[in-house]
Amino acid sequence: MTRRRPGEGRRGLSRIRPGRAELHTLAGPYALNALPPRDRARFERHAAACDACAQEVRGLLETTARLAGAAAVPPAAGLRERVLAEAARTRQLPPVAAGLGAARWPWRARPAAASGGGPARPPWLRRAALALSAGFAAAAVAFGAAALVTQHSLSQSQARDHLLAAVLTAPDAKMTSAAMAGGGTAAIVMSHREHALAVSCAGLPALPAGKAYELWLMGPLGERAAAMLPRPSHGMTSPVVATGLRAGDMVELTVEPAAGSPRPTSPPILRVSL
Amino acid sequence: MLGVEMTDRPGRRLRAGHQGGRAADGDRAAGGSVPGGADLVALLNRVGRGDEDAFSAVYEQVAPTVFGLVQRVLRDPAQAEEVAQEVMLDVWRAASRFEPDRGSPQAWVATIAHRRAVDRVRSAQAATRRDDQAAAQAPEGHDGVAEAVEAKLERERVRRCLGALTELQRESIVLAYYGGHTYREVAGLLGIALGTTKTRMRDGLIRLRDCLGVTA
Repeated sequence: MTRRRPGEGRRGLSRIRPGRAELHTLAGPYALNALPPRDRARFERHAAACDACAQEVRGLLETTARLAGAAAVPPAAGLRERVLAEAARTRQLPPVAAGLGAARWPWRARPAAASGGGPARPPWLRRAALALSAGFAAAAVAFGAAALVTQHSLSQSQARDHLLAAVLTAPDAKMTSAAMAGGGTAAIVMSHREHALAVSCAGLPALPAGKAYELWLMGPLGERAAAMLPRPSHGMTSPVVATGLRAGDMVELTVEPAAGSPRPTSPPILRVSL
Repeated sequence: MLGVEMTDRPGRRLRAGHQGGRAADGDRAAGGSVPGGADLVALLNRVGRGDEDAFSAVYEQVAPTVFGLVQRVLRDPAQAEEVAQEVMLDVWRAASRFEPDRGSPQAWVATIAHRRAVDRVRSAQAATRRDDQAAAQAPEGHDGVAEAVEAKLERERVRRCLGALTELQRESIVLAYYGGHTYREVAGLLGIALGTTKTRMRDGLIRLRDCLGVTA
């Protein structure tokens, strides 16, 4: 159980079983595009929390680009005409600012849902679910293109968006929501296939300075710190992605010192079986 | 052409090592960045706004790399054309999402091209077609007079730097990148442990990076 400060909530992304040293050596096969999808996703999660790895990958990708350049062969002239003609009737993707990212998350895109006052009611949840299912399709489109970009440009936020999109678009993604003991609602999207879940909250009570909400995964072997929630804005928190989800886990939310706790020190305000 | 000296197929020796050895540090002065890089950023920016003339100019600059790399991995000129077309259309579609401060346009395009090529290779149907093709000599190509001097120099630099690697580093990189093999397959082909394969790939790429004077 690692102790984390609030700004380091993304550390949760790197909680992967193989040792860090072993993951680090995947930078080579990653840059050579020699990883199967599963290992590739694991490495991207690792690199999301490891600036040195992300930096190394950038340099190695520039290197493999030189290998590509060294293989250059002019294509037949006909290809140019076909490509240009096809492009002329192919729609382009909008810039990424309007694509993948926090704005895509429906709870943030709909502040009205929270300003209604009081804990969210079932109608809101239905709206959120609808917005989310629309989001699935949109995220799937954005993800295809974003994947092209993120492959060679691993910034933390991009890798986080990447992972978020992976959870949202997983074929087994399931959404649940639950009311919290002190008021407020948590919406959870989880994918056992991706071993990850995304959590977003609305109507959360404000906390005194020095306190923060911490998310836990509870399994048969005990609890694991999963992520620190960002400080709520108008009771809402932007989505947090936690990895390391296992079958039979429950998710819990507690109030902890802002630096995070190695194990829960207060009664859970939320407990959901996944 | 690289393929004259090296092969991405198992069971054949990669001979570049005989001519390398002293390439390290020698190529920094020769220019670490690919010529035309800055222009390409500006062009992609225009492509992102739907500028078809700019896209035509981007095509001129990157299509040989895209086609050459894809053909190298697929070893089938007909399939390589199909895939190269898909890659160029990816570039057209996603140009607005290219972020220059995160990497060079060349790396972005090469990443897309390699992904597409490998996706094709790893689909079972294509694998069969590729095996048929493998019996014939890969189309290594003699680009002859049409080839720019610049491209020749770059090819020579890369070849010398590959030659400066250890044999295992070079073979694992060439099998993975030009052969489109996963690192597990590479480990099997070379008969070495998985962990060794991973470190050889990483160490080799780091040496290659330093030899080529790549700054990123």
